[in-house]
Amino acid sequence: MRKIFFVVIGLSAFVALLCWIESCRDNIHLPTSAKTEFVFKDKLSEYNFFKGELRNLNPSPGVTRYELATPLFTDYAVKDRFIALPRDKSIQYTSNGVLNFPDSTIIIKNFAYRNVDNRKVMIETRLLVKDPADKNWKVMDYLWDSTQKDAVKHITGAKIPITLLDDDNNKISTIYQVPNTNDCKRCHYSTGNLTPIGPKARNLNTILEGHGANQLAEWVSQKMLVGLPDLSQVEKMPNWKDSVHYSVTQRARAYLDINCSHCHTKGGDAMNTGLFLEYQEQDKQHLGIMKSPVSAGGGAGGMNYDVVPGDATHSILAYRMNSTEPGTAMPELARSIVHKEAVHLIVQWINEMKQVKK
Amino acid sequence: MKNKFLLGMAAACIAILSCNQGTDKQEQKEFVNTLEFAPGDEAKIAEAFLTLKDSSEIHLREGLYKFDNLSLAQLKHIQISGEGPDKTILDFSQQTQGGEGIRVTDTKNFTIRDMTIRDSKGDLLKINKSEDVTVLNLHAIWQKADSTSGGYAIYPVMCRRVLIDNCYAEGSSDAGIYVGQTDSAIVRNCKASRNVAGCEIENTSHAQVYENEFFGNTAGFLVFDLPGLSKRGGFVKAYHNYIHDNNIKNFAKAGSFGTYWGVGNASPGSGVIILAASNVEIFDNKIENNNSSAIAIASGLAVDDKALEKINDNYFPISSHISIHGNTMTMSDKFPEPAYEHHIGKLLVGIEQMLNASDKERKNKRIPFIMYDGISSNILNQGTKANPDSLCIRQEGDNIFVNADLLNMSKPTKWHPSTDWKDYSCN
Repeated sequence: MRKIFFVVIGLSAFVALLCWIESCRDNIHLPTSAKTEFVFKDKLSEYNFFKGELRNLNPSPGVTRYELATPLFTDYAVKDRFIALPRDKSIQYTSNGVLNFPDSTIIIKNFAYRNVDNRKVMIETRLLVKDPADKNWKVMDYLWDSTQKDAVKHITGAKIPITLLDDDNNKISTIYQVPNTNDCKRCHYSTGNLTPIGPKARNLNTILEGHGANQLAEWVSQKMLVGLPDLSQVEKMPNWKDSVHYSVTQRARAYLDINCSHCHTKGGDAMNTGLFLEYQEQDKQHLGIMKSPVSAGGGAGGMNYDVVPGDATHSILAYRMNSTEPGTAMPELARSIVHKEAVHLIVQWINEMKQVKK
Repeated sequence: MKNKFLLGMAAACIAILSCNQGTDKQEQKEFVNTLEFAPGDEAKIAEAFLTLKDSSEIHLREGLYKFDNLSLAQLKHIQISGEGPDKTILDFSQQTQGGEGIRVTDTKNFTIRDMTIRDSKGDLLKINKSEDVTVLNLHAIWQKADSTSGGYAIYPVMCRRVLIDNCYAEGSSDAGIYVGQTDSAIVRNCKASRNVAGCEIENTSHAQVYENEFFGNTAGFLVFDLPGLSKRGGFVKAYHNYIHDNNIKNFAKAGSFGTYWGVGNASPGSGVIILAASNVEIFDNKIENNNSSAIAIASGLAVDDKALEKINDNYFPISSHISIHGNTMTMSDKFPEPAYEHHIGKLLVGIEQMLNASDKERKNKRIPFIMYDGISSNILNQGTKANPDSLCIRQEGDNIFVNADLLNMSKPTKWHPSTDWKDYSCN
């Protein structure tokens, strides 16, 4: 008995030493057990995702910052995204849909806003965990405390009054809506399972500011990603703000893909509407062109078609994006103010669309 | 040791026997977890909804509860219960985000019962992608019935096996009880009033609707198939319902007299409307005092001139295999006022005027009880077959049927609505 005890102690010490020598990734708290369900920590700091002061979001070894070509709009929030991969594991490339992440991956997304003094104020941090116990993705939200020192596990959602600066430095007062865990599931739901939304190859296929190389290529050189074909073979999601390289249609479709298609897709939460807004969708009826709504009720504003080519004023799609009224506003979640730059783009896209004979 | 074991077994047996006495105790035992709350516990209730485990009941004691919204997702064997619609009341007038008051997604074996839910901004109760759903003794109402109401009061969609029993829906700006894109549904012993549509079965297969009362709506009962959706409807039976006095204005949206889609197309004064649906049987109902049309049978072309382009496995715009028999139908002596302002209502008024103008023998009778738009599958192949879509009408009495010849209505010289219904009769 005693002998075993010493052996165990000895082994543990050895492992600890190894970890210390390699400034070990195992510092980061990732799920380890394939047998018991992952239990979320109470505080964000307990995961050791970040070095130094937590609010600086300075990633620890094993945690990698990433960005998307076109992001989801959330009340002009400032977002920081990270992937924490388990030691010696890589992401498997897939051309369609979300990349194939190894078990025990945690995807971290921090939400902050710029206050009237142009200072970044942390609101919430969302985690998506691929639990090795059942291979399913799980969600949790952490709400930053008033001291901005740490964020605490929070499942019930919250309404936070804030005054933010938008992209043109206009002051906007709103009630920011922190999602509850079921709200998270609504968007991250696809054919019965939870899934990440943003990290698809086509949406990561971009060069980050201040980086020389393409983000996906960098991941390959860091051994984070395997199976990447030649970059010319990888689809590229347009940057919706880039009017130099992309047409209005490309930018509008990219915006709709990222902001709408997680629900508006076959198998998604809004499958019942028959309105499908993925970038590759070509069917006019599914894209809403001269399509009557199904169950929009008063949310349709008394109008008859989702998209009337050449006539954004009578297009329900633009009307609902331009509303903040519950029951009308689209997306239903994560937006309490109108994304005016996006509405402008969608209006332009519809108005430039060739009119159909009635 | 052995004795102790036997003793233990005996004790266990007694315990099991005593637990099995009384049905109340049995019901409680059905769920692994039972949580009980009272008014004032709203925050705890919202949290309980989010953290619920499989096989749980949430019981809400008598009183008024105020919520922004509630949601359940990915659970099995769940019951949400109150102490009766006049006792347990959930108010959602504070809703600030989202599409509905209560949202249930991806559940199996879900029951909600014995309470009132009211006044959400969007729909009241949406149940999405679930199996074995029971909605029992639930009142779902908007106290103010106008276009500011949400669309649907009770709204299962993309479900399998749904039972809506002994419920009441009021004030919806679309349909009070709406079953969409679902397979196997029963709506029974329910009432719906002051909605645009009392009850609507849409792209839903194998539905039975019986022993209900739909009254005081714009339209009483609808069976619709719409294009571009996940499944086709059909095999719908409606019987022993009392569908009466559905004559109010279509308030689907303020400032207009009804949009041109969905229930916006329901004329004030409609009892039953069958649109682009197949294999529908309407029998032994009392359909009284719906003063524009007791039963209307229409094709998708009546409301959408592009309907033929939308034909696919899940959509066929021409209504077919419609069987109507044994219903009691009455109508008052004139159209309801709001029908004159509605785009379909105006057509019905025009049909009545044309019939009476072209046949003095009618002596200014009302539009016949059953209005068929006359758009048949002959349109697809320039056919001339009589009754190619197998309508079967077996009704006693006079002034039963009109083929409205809707396609020619805009061409006065060609338009010939006809009350001859021998081709459609299976008497």
